[in-house]
Amino acid sequence: MASSLENLESQLELFIENVRQIHIIVSDFQPQSQNVLNQKLLALVHGLQEVDKLKSQVQDVHVPLEVFDYIDQGRNPQLYTKDCIEKALAKNEQVKGKIDAYRKFKANMLLELSKTFPTELSKYRAIRGDE
Amino acid sequence: MMGDQFRKVEQYSPKSSPRGARSPVVSRQDSSGTLKTTILLGKNPSIVPSGPFYLMKEPPGESELTGATNLMAYYGLEHSYSKFSGKKLKEQLSSFLPTLPGVIDSPGQHDNSSLRSVIEKPPIGGKELLPLTSIQLDGFRLHPGALPEQYRYANAAPMKKHKNKHKKHKHKDGGLPSQETTITDAGSDTHEKKHKKQKRHDEDKERKKRKKEKKRKKQKHSPEHSGGLTPSQHSNS
Repeated sequence: MASSLENLESQLELFIENVRQIHIIVSDFQPQSQNVLNQKLLALVHGLQEVDKLKSQVQDVHVPLEVFDYIDQGRNPQLYTKDCIEKALAKNEQVKGKIDAYRKFKANMLLELSKTFPTELSKYRAIRGDE
Repeated sequence: MMGDQFRKVEQYSPKSSPRGARSPVVSRQDSSGTLKTTILLGKNPSIVPSGPFYLMKEPPGESELTGATNLMAYYGLEHSYSKFSGKKLKEQLSSFLPTLPGVIDSPGQHDNSSLRSVIEKPPIGGKELLPLTSIQLDGFRLHPGALPEQYRYANAAPMKKHKNKHKKHKHKDGGLPSQETTITDAGSDTHEKKHKKQKRHDEDKERKKRKKEKKRKKQKHSPEHSGGLTPSQHSNS
């Protein structure tokens, strides 16, 4: 998986570099550059073919749509990862807090009930078994 | 008087209770199946729960993975967490893609380059990509001269210091040329700089050779030279 992504990345980099060079050629065009330009245009098509070939290798890569919003706004997409990790951690801590609170509540409840209703609670424990 | 009062109450009493048609006094059958009830008929019919506990349900099944465990550690993401939480990430997209030329920090909607638009309006695909024929390439025959000012924005993109550093490093690895590279050789692709360097090196060599030959000729024609060998030639022979 990692190698296929690296392949795609390097292919895209080559493609972008090619486009950049075309930009330089056409921004101040000289008649003797026509052949170079033609070669670059052919390389452009070749680059697209290479990228197209790699699409089968990255079919199982899932990208959250929200990342695109970050990129479209000119923001670093790693900020999205950071936000997600921070949110997940906060939620994890919150849920852990709730679970711990319920455990404490249950322990206290059983303690108090055993004081007030000892017979009933022993029956209850007998039914539950694992309590 | 009393009868009137009752009638009044009856008049205002709701026709249907929030609990539906059920009476709140008489308890319903427990859905969990743990509640046993005895129905007594006779003079005073009543429903008496005969199980030990009222409303006792089966506890929910215990799942192995809950929020009580540190999920970050469970999925081995601690490294990613420390990576992102430790350092302050730069806000701009250009800091994530430093090698990308042009202005990429502006919103994509401005120049119609947003990724959303690619999803919403997917480009035409599924056709085979074929190289351009010579006739098709004729369509790209350009007139000599510079581009109008508005199309030169990519060249004028401000390059940050770290960007250049990164680029330099990249070029060392991949041999990609810099922006200042002049492209004249048709055969070269991304190694123009390398070729240029080599060319310069070859030129230097040739120049040195020529100088040496000139020197030798001079020595041959000089009055001091009487067919004998120079000290360097002595050492060579």
